[in-house]
Amino acid sequence: MSNTEDIRWVTQASLFGDKNAFDKLTRKYQSPIRRFFVNLTAGDGSLSDDLAQETFIKAYLNITAFKGISGFSTWLYRIAYNVYYDSVRAQKKYADINEYEIDNLYQTQNEFSAEKMDIYQAMKLLRKEEQTAVLLFYMEDKTHNEIAKIMNCPLGTVKTYILKGKEKLTLYLTKAGYGNK
Amino acid sequence: METNDKLLKDFFSENKKEIADDGFSNRVLRKLPEAEYRGWIVWLFAAIGFSLTMALGIYTGLFESIYKSILLINIYYLLGAVFVFPLLGTFFFLFNKNRNYSLV
Repeated sequence: MSNTEDIRWVTQASLFGDKNAFDKLTRKYQSPIRRFFVNLTAGDGSLSDDLAQETFIKAYLNITAFKGISGFSTWLYRIAYNVYYDSVRAQKKYADINEYEIDNLYQTQNEFSAEKMDIYQAMKLLRKEEQTAVLLFYMEDKTHNEIAKIMNCPLGTVKTYILKGKEKLTLYLTKAGYGNK
Repeated sequence: METNDKLLKDFFSENKKEIADDGFSNRVLRKLPEAEYRGWIVWLFAAIGFSLTMALGIYTGLFESIYKSILLINIYYLLGAVFVFPLLGTFFFLFNKNRNYSLV
């Protein structure tokens, strides 16, 4: 499916409020958006689905604001990024709750394989901004420029986030024996 | 540096899994609010375009000269020109339907 198709569906959704056209966009992008959230929330599938749902509803409500300068995917990730940081800010209100207990609680609710645990543990080593930049770059194959648009920050800052994230992850993965596999 | 990049790329591609829809899109579709109908924009621009064309056509005498030119054309040429459109339309329809065929 191409960008041209995206534009056609976006036009139908924005001009006629065509929900079926938007449904096609949802079906196309549900997997990358949900995966992005799953990795940011250390495998919390339920929270990820809530955040992804909020992302798509916000995208639908603001679809007339999509100018087509960047791709629809980049625009959608920008919304996802904002939704995630709003949720992080909201969670900070409950910062006195022990994070370790919350992690343990989630682990009982989610299916964790050893491999998945590794990526979630690795992500925990990074700052939130580094996590986002690294995931978008290595997992979602976004370019530095696209990430700068998504995170609404200068290109140099994005490169720094990725570089710092890379250093931390390389150290972690080497210790975990990944380089030797 | 390149080794580190490869290590990370391999690690993330190993963990890159497609997530099955499992009714997620349907749940989103059900929750979408009714959007404002903006189809009137299409009709508005169509009306403006049509009015402009008519005004210019009449003002410049274009329609009149087209009408006069048509009257001067032999009726058989005119019929030939009109009937060639369905033929061309059918040809392009069949050509598009079987895109694996090429003219060259």
